[in-house]
Amino acid sequence: MKKPYMGKILMVDLSNGTMTEETIPDSVYEQYLSGMGLGAYILYNRMPAGADPLGQENILGFCSGFLTGTGSFFSGRWTLVGKSPLTGGWGDANCGGTFSPAIKRCGYDAIFFKGISPDPVYLYVKNAKATLKDAADLWGQDAVETEETLKEKYGQKAAVAVIGPAGENVSLISGVCTDRGRIAARSGLGAVMGIKKLKAVVLEGIQRIGVNDPTTMKRLSQKCVKWVNFPLPLTQGNLFAHVGTLMRATPVLFPQDGLLYKSILKKWGTGGMNQVSIEMGDSPLKNWGGSNCDFPLEKSKKINPDLIKNTEIVKYHCYSCPLGCGGICATKGRYAHTHKPEYESILALGGLCMNEDLDSIFYLNELLNRAGMDTISVGATVAFAIECYEKGILTKQDMGGLELKWGNTEAIVALIKKMINREGIGDLLADGTKIAAAKIGKGSEEFAIHAGGQELAMHDGRNDPGFNVHYSVEATPGRHTIGAHLYYEMFQLWKCVKDLPKPSLLFTKTSKYEVNTEKAKSSAACSKFMNLANGAGMCLFGLFIGAKRVPTFDWLNAATGWQLTPEEYMTIGERIQTLKQSFNIKHGIEPRNNFISSRAQGKIPQKEGANKGRFVDVEKLASGYWEQFGWDTTTGKPKDETLRKLGIK
Amino acid sequence: MSYTITEKCNGCGACVRFCAAIAISGEKKKPHAIDANSCIECGACGRVCPQAAVLDAEGILCMMIKRSEWLKPDIALEACVACGICIDACPVGCLDMSELPRKKGVDPFPYLKDAKACISCGFCSRECPVSAIKLENTA
Repeated sequence: MKKPYMGKILMVDLSNGTMTEETIPDSVYEQYLSGMGLGAYILYNRMPAGADPLGQENILGFCSGFLTGTGSFFSGRWTLVGKSPLTGGWGDANCGGTFSPAIKRCGYDAIFFKGISPDPVYLYVKNAKATLKDAADLWGQDAVETEETLKEKYGQKAAVAVIGPAGENVSLISGVCTDRGRIAARSGLGAVMGIKKLKAVVLEGIQRIGVNDPTTMKRLSQKCVKWVNFPLPLTQGNLFAHVGTLMRATPVLFPQDGLLYKSILKKWGTGGMNQVSIEMGDSPLKNWGGSNCDFPLEKSKKINPDLIKNTEIVKYHCYSCPLGCGGICATKGRYAHTHKPEYESILALGGLCMNEDLDSIFYLNELLNRAGMDTISVGATVAFAIECYEKGILTKQDMGGLELKWGNTEAIVALIKKMINREGIGDLLADGTKIAAAKIGKGSEEFAIHAGGQELAMHDGRNDPGFNVHYSVEATPGRHTIGAHLYYEMFQLWKCVKDLPKPSLLFTKTSKYEVNTEKAKSSAACSKFMNLANGAGMCLFGLFIGAKRVPTFDWLNAATGWQLTPEEYMTIGERIQTLKQSFNIKHGIEPRNNFISSRAQGKIPQKEGANKGRFVDVEKLASGYWEQFGWDTTTGKPKDETLRKLGIK
Repeated sequence: MSYTITEKCNGCGACVRFCAAIAISGEKKKPHAIDANSCIECGACGRVCPQAAVLDAEGILCMMIKRSEWLKPDIALEACVACGICIDACPVGCLDMSELPRKKGVDPFPYLKDAKACISCGFCSRECPVSAIKLENTA
């Protein structure tokens, strides 16, 4: 029987240059898949409690998806894992591009690094032969320059993951770049790569990836692609914004079908939601203190999705993606091209800082991709700094002469350059809002918006309380790619998995804020499913199309020959989630300390706008979520019986 | 499973030059051998062997084919979804994604960038989930 995994990992000790190839037992894949699951298994078992995230003992892993290379669609995502220096707990970041199959083609499911190299190095793997090479000449180059230098040397087909200056400078909001600007940005893992003096990982491999039943895989993929191509007419971008206005005004809602989102993603990319999100109250504005009233249509039309689409030269598809939400755009100024800015980048660098200048967003998108810095956290930290400036906590002198006011594009750009280079005030801000607020003091902690140190993404939980649950309870807090009410509706898991609640055909907006078992079950299902998906290397946007239409469970069975039920696959997701939570407990994280800042919960409710008067009771919602996982409902710690049931203990 | 070389091999080295996996070794003018762990079963060795000394993974004798008659990928763009799986599957890197969109729409398209490098392994065709690639004789 052919298997879709390679059965091996590479462990590199950077402190002495030794490399060990290890065979991983089948039982580990059966329990955790690969991707994030394998990463969690290795890190939980091998990293000593209390390991310094910026020390020798931290392990950084590049993990390929379990379904990557099997002929399934949307399965080309790789996961970067490590202990996060930003939150002090479990860290992961997930990225598309072409790096995931390259790991497998080299003969491994994952490559891990421990120790710290005395000098800058990069890892070069050709098939299963790995070498550490001197990276002195590459150190200091930005991510795109480094990738181009390495591809000139090894050929364009080489897959390259690299840190930019932000990672080298150990910025705790830095990430790892591939494919000239796709970035595994969250959890601050670029800093771990930087402190390890690992500049890049270069992979060239041609090994075959096995599949148990290729005929069924192909049949499932062909059925899936019909849904991807299912035509839905969409209006122009500027008219589309009014859908958001309508959603703000309506007191009742109906469950949303992901086919609409699929069509938006296909036409515009994630930026298709720019104006809609602002109008409906999904996008936080003015450091989470503002509302759509502060950023009305006259302002948001400057970031209209059509304006972005007009700059697109060609669409960009990650490996194994038939949808293609990405694009390569022409830009004005210093850089000729940039990857099409994502919704998160546009809103973090735009609305959150009240910046209406689209050209600056394109420029910053490329600048930060090259620096290897998380656009979400950068935008959030700049918005925090602007509020500090507005309140007189930081002065013009502190800012090095910058007039850091809301929407002052020039000052925002200048500040971000300082953050990348750790110059002046930029040094203080380069580690995100929580650390900056702790250093600044003077009550700034109140408006440093984060969850356990991780800046929140551009989805306001006061609009969709599901986001606030997942921001607060995930082992990687502040994460927007796991669950929400909207996500649950689009995943349509109840069509495949027994005993999951089916949303009502029509429901009031206020009912979203009620705390009940149904909500807890839905949130837990999202987490289990996305942990499974991150083990498989699946893309969230593909999964939005619906669990029956994008047949993850069936692909897994056809690729492996296992014939597990969807419920059994959901247990794999549950196991990965519980292991990550156990990692956090082992490393001294108190789950309750990861609850999001009170402003984002709506403890002081907004006085106007889409989320006027909204409050989300995170305490109660978290307790219900923990109960679904068999974790202590007060502390969030997995119970012994749960660990035994899942085979973790 | 792996391709194997029989005692008929005269060590001419033609297969070594075409093996993308660098799996074949042997002294000049002496029988060569294929490292089973490295072989990716692309079949290039069998197609170039003038001695008919290569057996495929199922033990079937491979026949030499003139290079000009090697089948090459022909991509039906109306079915292609630009997922890039074919490009990744190619062991010699002869396929690439276009930097400009196709005539209709904004999607890029895969194309045979380096026809001379193609070893006619058919992996692109086999791995294409939507069966958009056929191997054709372009001679």
